Amino acid sequence: MAVDRPTSDASAPIIIGDQARADELLSPFGMEEHPQGGFHGLLEVIPTKADYVLDLIRANSLWPLLSGLSCCAIEMMSTATSVNDIDRFGMFPFRASPRQADVLIVAGTLTTKMAGPLVRLWEQMPEPKWCVAMGTCTTSGGRFKRSYSVVQGVDRVMPVDVYVPGCPPRPEGLIYGMMKLHELVKQRRGEWRTYVDRGPQRTHWEGDVR
Amino acid sequence: MGRRRALSTPALAGSLVRLLTERFGSDLRDLGTDEDTVEFTIDGARNIEVLTALRDDPDLDFFMLADEAAVDYGLDAHFEVVYHLFSWKHPAWLRVRARVDRSDPRIETITHLWEGASFHEREMYDMMGIVFTGNRDLRRIYMSPDYRSFPQRRDFVLPDDAADSPAAGVNPLERPETWDLSRFGDGSR
Amino acid sequence: MTKLDPETRIPDPIELDAIEEARLRAAAGLAPIRSSTPEYAGFDQVGIPDRPPQTEREREVYSLEEGEMLINMGPQHPSTHGVMRLVVKVRGEIVVDIDPVLGYLHRGIEKLCENATYTTVLTYVDPMDYLATMHNEHAPAIAFEKLYGIRPPKRAEYIRALVVELERVSSHGLMMGFLALDMGGLTPILYAFINRDEIVDMQSAISGQRMLFNFFRVGGVNFDTNDEFLSRLGTWRGHVLKNIEMNERMITDNEIFRARTINMGTLSGADAISLGVTGPNLRASGVPFDVRKAHPYSIYHELEFDVITQQSGDSYARYLQRIAEIKQSIHLIDQIMDKMPHGPVQAQVPGIIRPKPGRAYAAIESPRGLYSVYSISDGGPNPYRFRMRDPSFISLQAMPKLMPGRLVADTMAIMASLDPVMGGVDK
Ligand code: SF4
Repeated sequence: MAVDRPTSDASAPIIIGDQARADELLSPFGMEEHPQGGFHGLLEVIPTKADYVLDLIRANSLWPLLSGLSCCAIEMMSTATSVNDIDRFGMFPFRASPRQADVLIVAGTLTTKMAGPLVRLWEQMPEPKWCVAMGTCTTSGGRFKRSYSVVQGVDRVMPVDVYVPGCPPRPEGLIYGMMKLHELVKQRRGEWRTYVDRGPQRTHWEGDVR
Repeated sequence: MGRRRALSTPALAGSLVRLLTERFGSDLRDLGTDEDTVEFTIDGARNIEVLTALRDDPDLDFFMLADEAAVDYGLDAHFEVVYHLFSWKHPAWLRVRARVDRSDPRIETITHLWEGASFHEREMYDMMGIVFTGNRDLRRIYMSPDYRSFPQRRDFVLPDDAADSPAAGVNPLERPETWDLSRFGDGSR
Repeated sequence: MTKLDPETRIPDPIELDAIEEARLRAAAGLAPIRSSTPEYAGFDQVGIPDRPPQTEREREVYSLEEGEMLINMGPQHPSTHGVMRLVVKVRGEIVVDIDPVLGYLHRGIEKLCENATYTTVLTYVDPMDYLATMHNEHAPAIAFEKLYGIRPPKRAEYIRALVVELERVSSHGLMMGFLALDMGGLTPILYAFINRDEIVDMQSAISGQRMLFNFFRVGGVNFDTNDEFLSRLGTWRGHVLKNIEMNERMITDNEIFRARTINMGTLSGADAISLGVTGPNLRASGVPFDVRKAHPYSIYHELEFDVITQQSGDSYARYLQRIAEIKQSIHLIDQIMDKMPHGPVQAQVPGIIRPKPGRAYAAIESPRGLYSVYSISDGGPNPYRFRMRDPSFISLQAMPKLMPGRLVADTMAIMASLDPVMGGVDK
């Protein structure tokens, strides 16, 4: 329904009804409300850091890397398919190339032989990037903690932002973890530290690919 | 209580046992049966002869190698390579156990009888350190080529069981002194 | 089979200590090996491994002739079905040879099982073939029951057969989706997962877990059927055939799918037997070997079914075989539900069992073929030796047979038709 607006140069503010309130809100920015709608004044943009805005956008369209290690990967796929539909959170395009991905969901047991290639994938991803450890195997080694060939938690080889325990976590669990990651990205926006800043990482050890 | 099957009715198992004794006579040791398996032990050096006969003899006709596995019977004993065979003619699995000396773990490959034995043998080599002479592809299959231990042997104890076991130092992630951090310099960019 | 000439033979790595290795490398004019290389030291520029070849076969694959090159696929590759590396030798677009490199998911399950009690072993084997978890538990359960000398109650056997057949339907259904996915069709996998989710809901209703169920016990199963399970089963049974047929309509007559599967990766029956390929892949080559018939376990001797085979042995036959087996499994589920007796589902078994010393072998038909367990007891609370033979591990050996002469793009399509699962391949 169209609002009947006065066409004369009536001084009554239109959007913020109370003149005193409008002054209080707008004057610190040197702005006032235009009688015919909208605002005008010194500043026509809201001051912020580019990082703030970019990270807000990033948080709402995180692209995970299409990389599954073992059983948890099946639940990760199940999260992406129609029943659970992680597309709702802007996350559908599972990218096949690390150069196009923002999040590495480490889904499955990490073995010493696979650790090298995985760290390599992680290093190929552009900054900023986040890592989600899915499953107890990746958080601590889980049921294979005692094994001679298993890395006891992926945080031994790369920084992890969100841990999703479970063996395997339900798709709802992974979605909850990704929501937590959204929160984390938004909270830290403008302040993320690069991967190199987070400290030295190993990239090679015995048992690596030859 | 459900019986899995009237497994290997005595007559049939008996006929297999009789055939085996006829064919191999003195080679056989410890011939025995359980509910669905007939098993015997042979000397490791005779495995090719016995398995070829088992596969090619029209009465026996064990055409399929179901499994090939290795067992370690401890430091002062021997290894065993165990073949499980299947035949349409006999309602029992046949288990052939071949003894291998532990100090010199060598046995002839059977990849020319069943090509599919190749991966089994590579696995046994990787896990147990048994060398299959004549196998064209005897590399480590699971562990990386520079790995130096044989995890499935009995003297390989899992790390949290004994600090001085060969496995204690196996997980290199537990040994920060081997990490190479030089490329990161002093941490500044 | 040619034997290695002792003169030219490169010593086995078992006897290849560091000095010997250095000597060999010096003789071959190669740089000495660095024990800890800071960079990722996989291949040099033309793709030859940075060390002398260890075996005849390795030398064959990694020595290049004029016009040939090596392409590395994996270990992280969007369609390798897990972490597996294929080194493909190509001439132009044509595959000349292929070398599967395994072990990126080797978790040492056998060793862990040898250090666990018999009951706990059934939890360790779950992540092996993670699309057929119930099957993974079935074979050890049978083997331990043989060792311990008990039989599960009849109802437990029926529930076991019911859940494993359900699992087979879900596994084969996913295979159809993955096969289409590897040829670039995204839709079938979405439908396959819808069908799988229904089965997963059923299984989680009966066992409490979605994937790694730990449902089997020595001497029975963990829970009896419950109302939720039965009602979900009824709903599912009402529309499953329709859904399968819908999926089938999407794929079976698709022009591109047929062009990329018919006469691709043809495996003859004799080759398949020699290579140890089992399960649907073997039956697609015309060999009617099915452990459920050949060595009936559980209650399969009480059920009526035929062994289905295909004739041509190509990728398309392997796909058709899966569809036929899905329908067969549904038919078996009907029979099982009809015949299911009443009674207990768990025999009286203590928590820690100590079977008498002995050996037991149990083989079952998993969706990928003959899955068997060889277990030795020494009278203690944990198995002395616990060995698993996983069908997809052995099936992968067919790759170097199937690939030569095909295009690189068909590598994944042919591998997907063999349907390996890396958790089982690498244990
Ligand atoms: S946490 Fe469980 S489901 Fe996930 S990879 Fe490990 S064993 Fe498999």
